Amino acid sequence: MKTRRRPALRALFYVGLSLLAIPFVFPTWWMITSSFKPIGEIFAFPPTLWPQHPTIQPYVDAFTEQPFLLQYWNSMYIAVVVTAATMLFSAMAGYAFARIRFPGVNALFLVVLVGLLVPSEVTIVPLFQIFNQLGLVNTHWPLLLVTTFGAPSVLATFIMRQYFVTLPVELEEAARLDGLGRAAIWWRIAMPLAKASLGAVAIFTFLHTWNLYLEPTVYLQSPELFTLPQALTRYTDAYGGQMWNVQLAAATMTAVPVLVVFVLAQRQFVEGLAQTGLKG
Amino acid sequence: MTDTLERETVTTGRSGRSGRAADRSAARVTRRRRRSLSGNDNLVGYLFVAPQVLGIVAFVLLPLVLIVYYSFHEWNVLANTFRFVGTENVERLFSDPKVAPVLGATGIFSVGLVIGNLSIALLLAVLLNRKARAITLFRTLFFSPVVVSLVAWTIVWGFLLQDDGGINGLLQLVGVEGPNWLREGPTAMLSVIVVQVFKNVGLNMILFLSALQGVPKEITEAAAIDGAGPFRTFGRITLPLISPMILLTTIITIVGSLQVFAQIAVLTQGGPGISTTVLVYYLFQQAFEFHRFGYGSTLALVLFVIVLILTVVQWQLRKRWVHYEN
Amino acid sequence: MRMSAMKLSATAALAVSALVLSGCAAGASDDDTPVSLRMTVWTSNEDQLALFDEIADAYIADHPEVKSITFDPLDFESYTTTLTTQLAGGNPPDMAWVLENAAPDFVSSGALVPLDETLEATKGYDLDDLSPSATELWTDGDGQLAAYPFSTSPFVVFANDDLLAAAGQPTAAQLQADGRWNWESISEVGSAVNATTGKAGFVVRDFDYTQWDYLSTVWGGWGAEPWSKDGATCTMDSPEMVDAFTFLHDAAFTAKSMPGPGTAADFFAGEAAFTVTQISRASLLGESGIQNWELAPLPEGPDGDYSIVGQAGVGALAQAEHPEQSAEFIAYFTNPENSAKLAQYFPPARTSQLDAATLSAANPVLTEEQLGDIVVPAIENGEVRPSHTGSAEIQQEVRSALDALWVADADVEGTLGDVCAAIDPLLEQ
Repeated sequence: MKTRRRPALRALFYVGLSLLAIPFVFPTWWMITSSFKPIGEIFAFPPTLWPQHPTIQPYVDAFTEQPFLLQYWNSMYIAVVVTAATMLFSAMAGYAFARIRFPGVNALFLVVLVGLLVPSEVTIVPLFQIFNQLGLVNTHWPLLLVTTFGAPSVLATFIMRQYFVTLPVELEEAARLDGLGRAAIWWRIAMPLAKASLGAVAIFTFLHTWNLYLEPTVYLQSPELFTLPQALTRYTDAYGGQMWNVQLAAATMTAVPVLVVFVLAQRQFVEGLAQTGLKG
Repeated sequence: MTDTLERETVTTGRSGRSGRAADRSAARVTRRRRRSLSGNDNLVGYLFVAPQVLGIVAFVLLPLVLIVYYSFHEWNVLANTFRFVGTENVERLFSDPKVAPVLGATGIFSVGLVIGNLSIALLLAVLLNRKARAITLFRTLFFSPVVVSLVAWTIVWGFLLQDDGGINGLLQLVGVEGPNWLREGPTAMLSVIVVQVFKNVGLNMILFLSALQGVPKEITEAAAIDGAGPFRTFGRITLPLISPMILLTTIITIVGSLQVFAQIAVLTQGGPGISTTVLVYYLFQQAFEFHRFGYGSTLALVLFVIVLILTVVQWQLRKRWVHYEN
Repeated sequence: MRMSAMKLSATAALAVSALVLSGCAAGASDDDTPVSLRMTVWTSNEDQLALFDEIADAYIADHPEVKSITFDPLDFESYTTTLTTQLAGGNPPDMAWVLENAAPDFVSSGALVPLDETLEATKGYDLDDLSPSATELWTDGDGQLAAYPFSTSPFVVFANDDLLAAAGQPTAAQLQADGRWNWESISEVGSAVNATTGKAGFVVRDFDYTQWDYLSTVWGGWGAEPWSKDGATCTMDSPEMVDAFTFLHDAAFTAKSMPGPGTAADFFAGEAAFTVTQISRASLLGESGIQNWELAPLPEGPDGDYSIVGQAGVGALAQAEHPEQSAEFIAYFTNPENSAKLAQYFPPARTSQLDAATLSAANPVLTEEQLGDIVVPAIENGEVRPSHTGSAEIQQEVRSALDALWVADADVEGTLGDVCAAIDPLLEQ
């Protein structure tokens, strides 16, 4: 690009980008710095950019007020299990919908697409009734099952299908001549080529599961089973007042690892996605 | 017999959809013959889609059926009464003076959000589609709101949008008297849209970036050699090439826009008046706060039908503007 | 329970789903096997939960019919919503805390089982010790107590004497000594504070121009009520209410003694001279950095003295499986001995425990004198924050209609008339 050759233009470009970045970064900055403030300073107006009396007490409180480590583990294992399972099942379904012309394939695909259209607020009450009848309320099962197989997983299946549609027919035909069955073609030929799309599915699914709020709030009752977004709002003092600094400390501990993973993985993610690409 | 018919429509349907040429269809026919030789293909197909399809039936369709059932009842959770009322909830829907403004607010919110989100995401993706060390940093900065807790995000924006908040402070520096953002109808709507756009634009930015990187350099360079300016190249070459991604993000964003309500609940509580009360917020109020699960279910069905129509329209329109490579 | 089971079998049949059917046989009746009880609460505070567990453990030790009692902390903001979802899903808690604004809905709908019989039968319970003003809200149409008001917390004024001194204004104590502890003076002083320091005058905490029912701590001074005693007629447009809102509008837009809409000022961050809030917020003073502060009763209005309290009750849900065992546990949870323990966090409704000594254990920042002079009388005489059946919808309608009042050139009387037009149909129901 031209800007590369003209230092002045290039500087201008970065100044512009930096200005544009302010509204994106400021809240994150405030969240992190405020987590080191005593509670009185958080609502000081105008907001202070740097803690006047920095303290790590909120971080200590985050662990003593609630079983925070356990809740971290809950969130982590649920997100990882759901992400892994979603990658597998969406790749299976996406492949079948894209490549296998079994009777009823289009009708079934339409059925699945409906899942993309239903907000979770709409179905939460009947779902709660179903899980209550099954005796699964106050367990992690509703979160694992609904996010892996229910509405949230449809986007993953859709992305995988859109990728598999673009696979050249010749690849499969060659594999078939080599005597591979359908399942083997999927696993040995199609899946390795779909790494980038699987990456996109993984990121989407992980973020979605990691940030789930409504569902855990409704399904889980014991603090030992809580997930992080749900636990964040439960830091209250003896009189029900929110302990904002502790909440923000916990929120920071929730967000930072994900950000770090993104920094490390984003180049592979973006470029990998581009190489094979989500072509539609 | 039905089997063959089904396959026939499937094939034509597919070739029409992807806009592939007729010779492709011919290839498919041969392929179909060959495939019918291996009978377990169908079985594999069913097994592969089974987990997903069963999941949707159990966790989406069954609840939807229950919702339809509830919408014919008056259900007061506290009093534990559940009474068949026929079409009373539907009649209520048509006589409820709030429904029209709520639908209006929903439309404005969604259109604003989709346009804002997609255009900013595309702009950022174009700006950041280059190789430089600093670019990685900027991508991360623009992506960071996606992982920041909603609580922190709305608190800070609540601060910034106050009458004497950061935004008006900045405006004052350039001599402009800013409005009381969250307390006046039009600016309150603008505020909730912008706050929501900033929160999630990073995801679409990443998707657009990946699509842009998939555009072969040779094509844009060839266009430049032919004398096309950067804007012309972008409009005529790049945009059509990434149009499938635009379709995907548009659908995701529209559907998502109709499901946003936590931020609205925190920033404006649907006000001033009911100017920022969108449909999902209204149905949540009716069902969970006013204890009207029957009417809430009816509103949920309205929301579902709207999303369904929008998506079908999108899907149909895509033939007009989505460009598919072969 | 039976109702929702019926409903579910119907829906299950309709849906023809093995999924739902498989669970239907689970509802067994169990008269002899020990039961597990569950209480939803909105505190997540470790100390409080530990205290509840301690009380529960002592109870279980004496009561073999109860196997366990758990306390489920729900998020305060979405407390009623989550509780409602659990009820709708057929998984009601055995016992639940209820906020005062939801009280009429819970009490009048029959969602809670009457407690009188159980409480009276409990040895040493002394039901008559409960102050009648505290139980009024929790008593159903038949005069039965549907929930026990375990927390009765008065609204008071905190004054920041540091800020008042910096603005060259009299302290709260001086105002009181001069006989000027009234809204007019507070607004005058607040206006001066705002003009000289740029900080806020007085803040009605949690009002934020949306939670309008907190304004009852102001309009009480004008003798105004939002609706008639029987709840059937809107009186938001009464002359007293118009005067009270004219005062508030003037304070926000002319005198600038109260921060205007869209402007936040936190007293406990040192940003306001006075705040109206519940006594329990005194705990925030420790971290606030305010050196000299004063606790005072609500100021006088044109109609004289008044006091307002916020309440919370605990009741046993009729839809749950073991309402009797729940009622018995509530009787134990709130008996004189345990009530005294709970008093360290929740001001009690028992007149015998309404003394400065009991309360001072709860509020280490407050002196016995402050508690005795201000808090105890406020609890004894306090009127509960306004509430009504269908309060969530009324809250929403009034909030929406009142928005027209919070602009500089508002028509106060006309807007309040609109408020009544908006909620009259709801009040009649």
